[in-house]
Amino acid sequence: MAKSLSKERQKQQRISKFTSFLFVLPYLTLFSLFLLFPLIYGIYISFHDYNLLAVTHNFIGLENYVDIFTPDTSLNTQFFRGLKNTLQFVVYSVPLLVIVGLSLALLLNNLPKRLTGFFRTLYFIPYAISVSVVSVIFLWILDTNSGLINKYIMEWGGTAIPWLTRQPYAWIAIVIATLWWTIGFNMIIFINALNEVPDDLYEAASIDGASAWDKFRHITIPTIKPITLFVTITSTIASFNIYGQPHLMTRGGPGNSTEVLLMGIVRRAFEQRELGQASAMAILMSLLMITVSVVQFRLANGKKRGES
Amino acid sequence: MMKWFKGFSLATLILLLSVLIVGCGSDTTSEDGDDTENSGSSSEVTEVSFWAPFSGADGPFMKEIVDSYNNSQENVKVNLQIVPQTDYYTDVDLTLHSGEDVPELMIMHGDQILTYSEKGILKNLDAVLGDELKVDQYHEKGIDGATVDGNVYGLPLDIHPLMFYWNKDLFEAAGLDPEQPPKTREEFVEYAQMLTNEEENVYGYAVPTLWPQQFIFPTIVAQNGGSLYEDGEVNFTSPEVVEALQFQVDLINEYNVSPSDIQQDGEVTLFLQGRSAMHFNGPWMLEQFVNSELNFGVAPVPRLGTEQEAVFANSHNFVIPEKADEAKLDGVVDFLLYVQENALAWANSGQAPAMKATYESDEFQSVNIQSPQVAKQFEIAVFNPKVENWSQAVNPLMEAVNSALLGQKDVEQALEDAQKEATQALE
Repeated sequence: MAKSLSKERQKQQRISKFTSFLFVLPYLTLFSLFLLFPLIYGIYISFHDYNLLAVTHNFIGLENYVDIFTPDTSLNTQFFRGLKNTLQFVVYSVPLLVIVGLSLALLLNNLPKRLTGFFRTLYFIPYAISVSVVSVIFLWILDTNSGLINKYIMEWGGTAIPWLTRQPYAWIAIVIATLWWTIGFNMIIFINALNEVPDDLYEAASIDGASAWDKFRHITIPTIKPITLFVTITSTIASFNIYGQPHLMTRGGPGNSTEVLLMGIVRRAFEQRELGQASAMAILMSLLMITVSVVQFRLANGKKRGES
Repeated sequence: MMKWFKGFSLATLILLLSVLIVGCGSDTTSEDGDDTENSGSSSEVTEVSFWAPFSGADGPFMKEIVDSYNNSQENVKVNLQIVPQTDYYTDVDLTLHSGEDVPELMIMHGDQILTYSEKGILKNLDAVLGDELKVDQYHEKGIDGATVDGNVYGLPLDIHPLMFYWNKDLFEAAGLDPEQPPKTREEFVEYAQMLTNEEENVYGYAVPTLWPQQFIFPTIVAQNGGSLYEDGEVNFTSPEVVEALQFQVDLINEYNVSPSDIQQDGEVTLFLQGRSAMHFNGPWMLEQFVNSELNFGVAPVPRLGTEQEAVFANSHNFVIPEKADEAKLDGVVDFLLYVQENALAWANSGQAPAMKATYESDEFQSVNIQSPQVAKQFEIAVFNPKVENWSQAVNPLMEAVNSALLGQKDVEQALEDAQKEATQALE
């Protein structure tokens, strides 16, 4: 009797597991089809001399990777220049994406309840716009000779700023456009995190005479730490993948100072049709992104592990 | 639990993938089924699939030609498929790579023909050229552009050189004859100085620092009697090339006829706003200028170089993939013959068809204000050098032009750096 009962339970458990599995199935399908399979295929291609128009694609082992690390080859120049520029962008944009996102969330949370929803929508709208539209908007606003901002600067007696044709303005312009475009996402996540912080903690702190800053430092920040880590890592990954803004706003200029890694990869793949070399560049880029994310994760959780 | 899950998910994954693959397979067979159905109803019709990148304002004009051909006879039906310009060669590459649904006819830019013909992807047109379809029915420059090692791989639809546009109202205001565009460097600089009024923020010209320098810079180099590639080597540091860049830098810094720091498309904005009087761009800009209600004129480019008349150009060509269905070749030839005689509609796009029957006709001379001016430049057109992966040499060159025009690098230094990088890229 007992035996058959447990069998019955096992069966039920299996059914419930199967039902849960059905729910993840759609995602799993898309994930395999558009991420896992291309990734594996990309690794495969990167070991070949894979010109898209050539009939044969010979296996060449690690040669593409070796070329990337051989000084004075065009592959080497392109990869490391792109990497240097991409890393610059990551360093400039990620802290701002996190800090501005959190600041906006704090600001909105302290607004009267009726206004919160309105401004939340307002700040989130740009996130729904495509990068081409964002770039065109900023091209027009920032135009050196006929843009909106320079028009006001000149009316106030200043000299026109070459936003997209000189450094450091070109990076500033790209970072501002990126912030305006994507900050809504980080903000929403921070708003939810802030709402999760238990009110009684703040009340207790108030009774103990803590200032607003103390509460922010010792209650808010520690409580939302996992979310901050999440936002930092997703922002880092997104910033590594920068392509549209420099491609459309500066075309990699001035000179090649905003020519990011993905622009080089796209050129290799679709101008030169060297899919093998482009894949090798892309795989190295992913490995780097994974490494950076792991390091960020370790750094953020290092303290906790020390405690336990 | 984890193990069970892994095994199960793997099995499902494989199952899913196989279902999907089968799904794709059945899709294509159903298409084939449609085809046989069609040919069943009218068994002699040859269906020719024709790919073109005309996703802009030029698309309807190509469609007009195809439609009128389809209506003119009953044996061949050309199916025009317009692929978005930005994805065109990616789509072409992937299709040719897979070898499935390869079109029988394609449009290809002149500067791409070398790359594709070297890979044995394009049909040598000797096989289809004959008594009626003849290379001498086209402008020889167009045929030159589609010829590699003496073999013709394409028949030119058009040649599109750099054009010169000017604002007639600003010319008049500066006391210049609005119907007389400059012809030489001296006139260009003189006019530009007369047209420049810095107090009102109006300039004679605006030097682009990015696109379309890909057309402007080689034009001036060729007018200087120079070339970017010589004796099998990148030739960016020759005096003619250096002078071409120095002249453009001087327009900004010495002659003060152009604002500095022109960003992407900034020179178009200034021209449309009536704040720059003269402008260089490709013939594809016509529609935008017409719609802007600007009072403008269009002419062959003035000689900005020091030696001779010349203009950089690219072209659109009809090409036949090697993998195209042989049985449909007669249909393709029939269509090309028709286009050879009936290409006037293409001129409505502002382009100039490269067929003699069209550009020598009387109707063509009054088809619009631009196309006859375009055809005037056929004779002096200069194309990209026939070097595989030439675009990889152009990228560093354009970075050098950009750096020098923005005053961030000395002209000679910039070109030396580009020379090094371009040589590396072509190795």
